[in-house]
Amino acid sequence: MITPAKIEAVEYRRISDVVWELAPFGAMTVPGRIFASQTLMDLVLLEHATAQVANVAQLPGIRRASFAMPDIHWGYGFPIGGVAATDIEADGVVSPGGVGFDICCGVRLLASNFTEADFNSHRERVMRNLDQSIPRGLGKGAIAPGDLVPEVLARGAGAALEAGYGWEEDLERCEEHGTSAGADPKTISDHAIARGGGQLGSLGAGNHFLEVQVVDEVHDSNVARAFGLAEGMLVVMLHCGSRGLGHQTCTDQLRAMGPAMSSYGITVPDRQLACVPVRSPEGDQYLRAMAASANFAWANRHVLAHAARLAFAESFGVSPEKTGMRLVYDVAHNLAKIETHDVDGRATELCVHRKGATRAFGPGHPDLPEDLRATGQPVLVPGSMGTSSWVLRGVVDNPAFFSAAHGAGRVMSRKQAKGRQPGSRVRDQLEAEGISVRPGSIRLLSEEAPYAYKDVDEVVDVCARGHLAAKVARLRPVGVVKG
Amino acid sequence: MTTRITLMSYRVLSHTADTGIEATGDSLSSLVTELATGMFSLVATIEPSAAVRWTKVRVESATPEDLVVDTLSELVYLSEIEDLVFCAFKVDSSRGALAISVEAGGVPVAAVEPSGPPIKAVTYHQLVVEEREDGWYGRVYFDV
Repeated sequence: MITPAKIEAVEYRRISDVVWELAPFGAMTVPGRIFASQTLMDLVLLEHATAQVANVAQLPGIRRASFAMPDIHWGYGFPIGGVAATDIEADGVVSPGGVGFDICCGVRLLASNFTEADFNSHRERVMRNLDQSIPRGLGKGAIAPGDLVPEVLARGAGAALEAGYGWEEDLERCEEHGTSAGADPKTISDHAIARGGGQLGSLGAGNHFLEVQVVDEVHDSNVARAFGLAEGMLVVMLHCGSRGLGHQTCTDQLRAMGPAMSSYGITVPDRQLACVPVRSPEGDQYLRAMAASANFAWANRHVLAHAARLAFAESFGVSPEKTGMRLVYDVAHNLAKIETHDVDGRATELCVHRKGATRAFGPGHPDLPEDLRATGQPVLVPGSMGTSSWVLRGVVDNPAFFSAAHGAGRVMSRKQAKGRQPGSRVRDQLEAEGISVRPGSIRLLSEEAPYAYKDVDEVVDVCARGHLAAKVARLRPVGVVKG
Repeated sequence: MTTRITLMSYRVLSHTADTGIEATGDSLSSLVTELATGMFSLVATIEPSAAVRWTKVRVESATPEDLVVDTLSELVYLSEIEDLVFCAFKVDSSRGALAISVEAGGVPVAAVEPSGPPIKAVTYHQLVVEEREDGWYGRVYFDV
């Protein structure tokens, strides 16, 4: 295992404006490549994330590089912000740790017919209705009934739609149309189903949120228009995942995968990197369970968006349709996907792990909905609470298997953040800046304070300069419903 | 006035995104008790005497590392489905070195003021569970 102490002795060099390379050493078979400005790199070097980039570069079958997005920070096994693609034909592996416990955690963005002035004149009512209709925080609480879970595991957001949640057009603007292929509900344990049963349509806690935002700055008006966005528009962003069902599924699969590794002669530097060949019974089992959990996550965000539409409709005294809260896009940032990419001039079938990294397909990609094929995929990058979020678009020359950042990236531990200011002061400061806050717990608000994260504008700048994605629009928060 | 000082044999470890606990114990079962106590202390500070509901779990694993991760994972699961934050533990290891029964007592979530986010899962990242000259030592990181 490459320890943090060893990594300090290893040479890394800046190979372009915003790309830093860690040359292969030890058991690394590919280099590590970190996208960062000098300022962001200085932060990366303060913790153990670089060693984790090197550890991932040892995974069997990994191709091109072990990539780290500009929001990289220390994770468990994989760094958060890590991208690793393994060659399936060459016994490339799938690793549950490369997806994380919150399988298919992601971001959903809704447009609207409202402006900031509309919000300001209805602010208290909107925030109260959102506060009451979005289950979150510690403990049970869900919008949809638990008996919907088996159907959701099989068919994702489509099952939630049939049960009366959301709009049909939502599926078109959701990655994978809200249903992950290959999902097998039989791979999901009773423990996982029990955890998910009381959580379908809930945010969770920690860094999960629903934000009311304003399109503050448009950088590409043609693409913004194609996405359904315009300057001054009020939008709603959701960040959450597969809740306890996904956490339990990852726990179950990791437990099973550990002993299986030895039968394939695989050893890993950190047990959280447990992996097996994609083409193995255990690899197949994991991918089917991951897809079923992803279906829970797509449906979870679909149901929450439905609740947000109802809250806005009631607040403004209009029908949900009149709110114009159309889905801009829903994209995951914790998934492993089978994709074909060019590797050394050859079309290669890869298992692309994105752990805290957003898929970012460029213009012309066949998996994009027809109306977005000319623009490239919307890439949603939430900032920290109280700071901007961004809408980017995929570009054709992305060097990291069409991946981009997934957020600002933490820079401070929860303990450090909590010690700096009490939650009540964080709330007061946000309110003073014109951001209404409805926390699940006031005490936990301090852990998610803006100073606990990197500067999202700089992260997005690096995305643009590193050809990971291009800027479309910046979003400014005006209301936060925090998990 | 008397002040009661609780001597804890666990310590919270800092991590950029998540949190860890390291602990010591006279035996593997007491290490599990300390780690479980430390894990739920991340969620809320509750005196053991406050426990109002108890639930039981049996775990058998292949190695001490697995026993720790499996037991803590079961407690995370029980906490979520029973809607409890645990604060008291009675561990029985009389069935064998790698088999334990844990009786966990807790407080309903609705009655708790959280001091940290819920534990999503127990990780294997930088996991250490080992017997040393002076007893057992363990280090576990959690996804929160």
